[in-house]
Amino acid sequence: MSATDDAATGAEDAPLLDIEDAQTYYGESHVLQGVSLSVDRGETVALVGRNGVGKTTTLRTALQLTPPRTGTVRVGGVDVTGDPTHEVATRGLGWIPEDRRMFEQLTVDENVRVAVTDTDAVDAKRELAYEAFPDLRELRDRKTGNLSGGQQQMVAIARGLVGDNDLLLVDEPSEGLAPQIVEAVAEALRTVAEDAAMLLVEQNFPLAMDLADRFYLMDGGKIVHEDTTEGVTSDDEMIRRYLGT
Amino acid sequence: MIDAVAALGPAAPGTLAQVDAGTVVSVLVDGLSKAAIYVMIAAGLTLIFGLMGVLNFAHGSLTMLGAYAGGLVLVVAISSGSGALTRLAVFFAAVVAVFAALTAVGAALEVTLVRPLYDRPPLYQILLTFGLTLIFDEFARMVVEFYGLQPRSAWQEAVGTKPEFLAESNAYDVAGAPVVGLDLFEIVLGVVTVAAIWGFLTRTRYGLYIRAGSEDAEMAEALGINIRRAFTVVFGVGVGVAGAAGVLLAWDTAWGASVPLGAETLLPAFVVVIIGGLGTFRGTVLAALLVGMVDGLMTYVFNSGIVEFPGLPELTVFLTLVVMLIVRPQGLAGVEEVGGH
Amino acid sequence: MPPDEVTPADGDAAATAETPADGGGDDGGLSFDDDPWYRRYLRESSVHLVVILLFAAYPGVYAVLTHPSTPGNVEMVYLLPQVETMIVVLYFGLFAMSFDFISGYTGYLSFGHAAFFGVGAYFVVLTANGKVPLLASGTPFMISLLVAGVLAAVLALLIGSVSFRLSGVYFAMITLGVAQVLYVLFSNWGYVGENPRDGVAVGGSHLEGFDIGIPWIDQLNLTIGAFQGDTVQGLLGFLNFSTVEVSYYMLGVIVVLSYFTMQRIVHSPFGRVMIAIRENEERARAIGYDVFRYKMGAFAISGFFGAVAGALFAGYSRSVSPDGSFYFLVSGDALLAAIIGGFGTLGGALFGHLFHEFLREFLSKEGSGGGLLPYLRDVLSDSLLSTELYNGFTVGEFVETFLNGHAALYIGIVFVLFVLYVPNGIVGTARAYVGGTLAKQVPARFRRGGGDG
Repeated sequence: MSATDDAATGAEDAPLLDIEDAQTYYGESHVLQGVSLSVDRGETVALVGRNGVGKTTTLRTALQLTPPRTGTVRVGGVDVTGDPTHEVATRGLGWIPEDRRMFEQLTVDENVRVAVTDTDAVDAKRELAYEAFPDLRELRDRKTGNLSGGQQQMVAIARGLVGDNDLLLVDEPSEGLAPQIVEAVAEALRTVAEDAAMLLVEQNFPLAMDLADRFYLMDGGKIVHEDTTEGVTSDDEMIRRYLGT
Repeated sequence: MIDAVAALGPAAPGTLAQVDAGTVVSVLVDGLSKAAIYVMIAAGLTLIFGLMGVLNFAHGSLTMLGAYAGGLVLVVAISSGSGALTRLAVFFAAVVAVFAALTAVGAALEVTLVRPLYDRPPLYQILLTFGLTLIFDEFARMVVEFYGLQPRSAWQEAVGTKPEFLAESNAYDVAGAPVVGLDLFEIVLGVVTVAAIWGFLTRTRYGLYIRAGSEDAEMAEALGINIRRAFTVVFGVGVGVAGAAGVLLAWDTAWGASVPLGAETLLPAFVVVIIGGLGTFRGTVLAALLVGMVDGLMTYVFNSGIVEFPGLPELTVFLTLVVMLIVRPQGLAGVEEVGGH
Repeated sequence: MPPDEVTPADGDAAATAETPADGGGDDGGLSFDDDPWYRRYLRESSVHLVVILLFAAYPGVYAVLTHPSTPGNVEMVYLLPQVETMIVVLYFGLFAMSFDFISGYTGYLSFGHAAFFGVGAYFVVLTANGKVPLLASGTPFMISLLVAGVLAAVLALLIGSVSFRLSGVYFAMITLGVAQVLYVLFSNWGYVGENPRDGVAVGGSHLEGFDIGIPWIDQLNLTIGAFQGDTVQGLLGFLNFSTVEVSYYMLGVIVVLSYFTMQRIVHSPFGRVMIAIRENEERARAIGYDVFRYKMGAFAISGFFGAVAGALFAGYSRSVSPDGSFYFLVSGDALLAAIIGGFGTLGGALFGHLFHEFLREFLSKEGSGGGLLPYLRDVLSDSLLSTELYNGFTVGEFVETFLNGHAALYIGIVFVLFVLYVPNGIVGTARAYVGGTLAKQVPARFRRGGGDG
């Protein structure tokens, strides 16, 4: 694997996302104090921890929305540290953020269309989204600002679907939603996980364990534990300690 | 604008006792033509603020530069023997040329001067554009004086290049009221401008990017949209539209190409943009209609002697601004969050 | 901006925040507490005193340097600003400082600050013309100046009461809107004068000039005004002052007093809250300050001194026009001065305007106190001046077209360069260099240099 290969396309078997010792600051606030993690093709990885430990910041660091001061971020083997966010996004990273971040004055249809990166196939991609989420087809001309939280979450996930993304960075998808809606959201996430890897930040611990194959546990801006999700419950001593229930 | 009032003598007849269909038509046309001018001046400002959160103080000066540039094309290409069609053709050619040139200028300004300031508090972008105003105004004064023109008064030669049927002295009779052809011309151009920008924003992909970026630039970037390039494009186009508006003003006796045109258009542009709601194009259109009609109505009120205060239209416009900011600061169509980087 | 970060422009805030008692840590570790109070006061004010002395000496220095028998006097005439220009620097510098007081320290841009300048100027002139109810035409200038200031403060409170609820941009726009309303009003209101658009002059009912001093006590008053003013002869046996010079000193007294008032406020707990509001208003509110009250107070004070500046202007020129007082470019000039001098440094604004006036006079068209062209005419040979550069266009014509009378272009360029590369302005950058306010650091450095055991 030569350096030029790496720069151009990256190795085939490189992890989709590889963060190495990221130190990220908000101003003078040292939020990430050396975070290292990776996500491979096809897997769903959960990132859990208490409020404020730096989970969202980790996602933002991956996308270079808040680039790390030191450390590297590699997408598909290519070093993207410090690159403009839109370039990182077109490399196959999608973002389904906390608070959904709808373009409220735009319709559902427009929100989906704007997320399509393959500009030659906008209509086709949009159809794909409506097939995966039939409810959205009925809502297509409604301004997203007028939708319920659950409906907005569907739109956000649909945006992730149509963007030719290999890896989706999902932040607190179940936040503020009623239990039945959460189930619908989980189903939607399972659907998209068929075609894309996922790094999932989720406070709802059972949901996270259910959706993910592996998980990282974060505390104080660092990863303190990683394991498979097989058989892990919120009663486990380590989980109790770091999630503070 | 005070000159505007004086020059509108023939358009507003009668006293309070004679409010008839003719008066209504007259005030309506006057108001709508003013609205058209305001929307053309303010459109660029709104586009820029909507996407970038930058209040372009140099906006008026750029309109002024466009007026002189357009005036130059008009004066050079039109002779006294030119027919009406030729004059119109040259006019539209000037509009296109000035639009293209100023779009390029705007893009260059954004890349070289505005971009370095994105990481700083928004104050600095305002300061920068204010500094550009000083430079552009004085530069224009220099060039204009060099060629022997009076900087403070309208470039009469350019004003005189418009075809006969649009001349202010040539009024048509509509429902008993004299209607100036130029006013109708301005209204048509205003409608075309609004339609063009609206179409761009709602029917093109780039327009979609701009509307999304205006709401949430960060999210748009995360979806793969090159927001920095969009900034450059929007800044360029915003400036281009401002310049094109200037070309139109070069034909209007009440305005005309002059160095003070910069300040004279900047303030109304601000008023319109803020009353409409900072950053919303629909708001700007609504506000331009409101302010234009208020201006036209107050001009009539003054001309017909009901109130004898020459500054009435201007005063009312600014009072509308102050009242709007107190009562509904987000403007007619404003959304709460505006702009972003 | 994170609340813990401190920008160079408010080195004051950091210094005063860390060292509640003056003479603490930023003196370089030397203890001055055993000095008697007058020594300490003198040391702390040394930089200010030097600046004041320089300004006070200026008319004399100017007279000497431009005296026909002094060598190089011709160059000096062209280079140095006239005393008349320095008077403008004084009153407009005060206006610029009042602008910086609100905009630089709280972060709320007062784009309509010209409103206060206009209120001050028009009030003085209208009072003298007997057009202000309750005030006689003969009201002492000092009284009408104070009343104008109070009026402006009230206006500020009115504007603030509605606009401080909104964010910075809206505040700036409301103030601009109000100033424009006043501009249109005074440009068209027949009551103020024959031709309101052209302005108003002090008329026949008030032929004597305006006095600065203690009202009604003749001996403690001096009349200002370019032509009506007092002259002072034989002070200390040999000093004579013309009307212009007398005006210069009397205006200077008011400006110095105003400056020190504002400076004291800025370095007080009140000022610290103002700065906190600029840095992070939410946090200041969370800590428990009634930020609304502080903003109102600061705005009222800035309006007061803005009007004082306008009153001084009217007192000296004895006339006022809407374009020269209410127009938004007047606010623009204050903004210019504050940025070049240093936003949030108070004194910097005056120096910023000094630079502006210097450049303007240097590049002014012939006859206005100097000029590059007359200077070049004297220094360069005629043949060089008439050398053709291009197409019959001579060097002299080049200077005439591109330089003379076009100071505004170069000031604009300087301003843009400052915004891009020197955002802290002259004084702000100097403060960053010495690590605190000049008033504190310069004496400390001298002491450190000479006082080490």
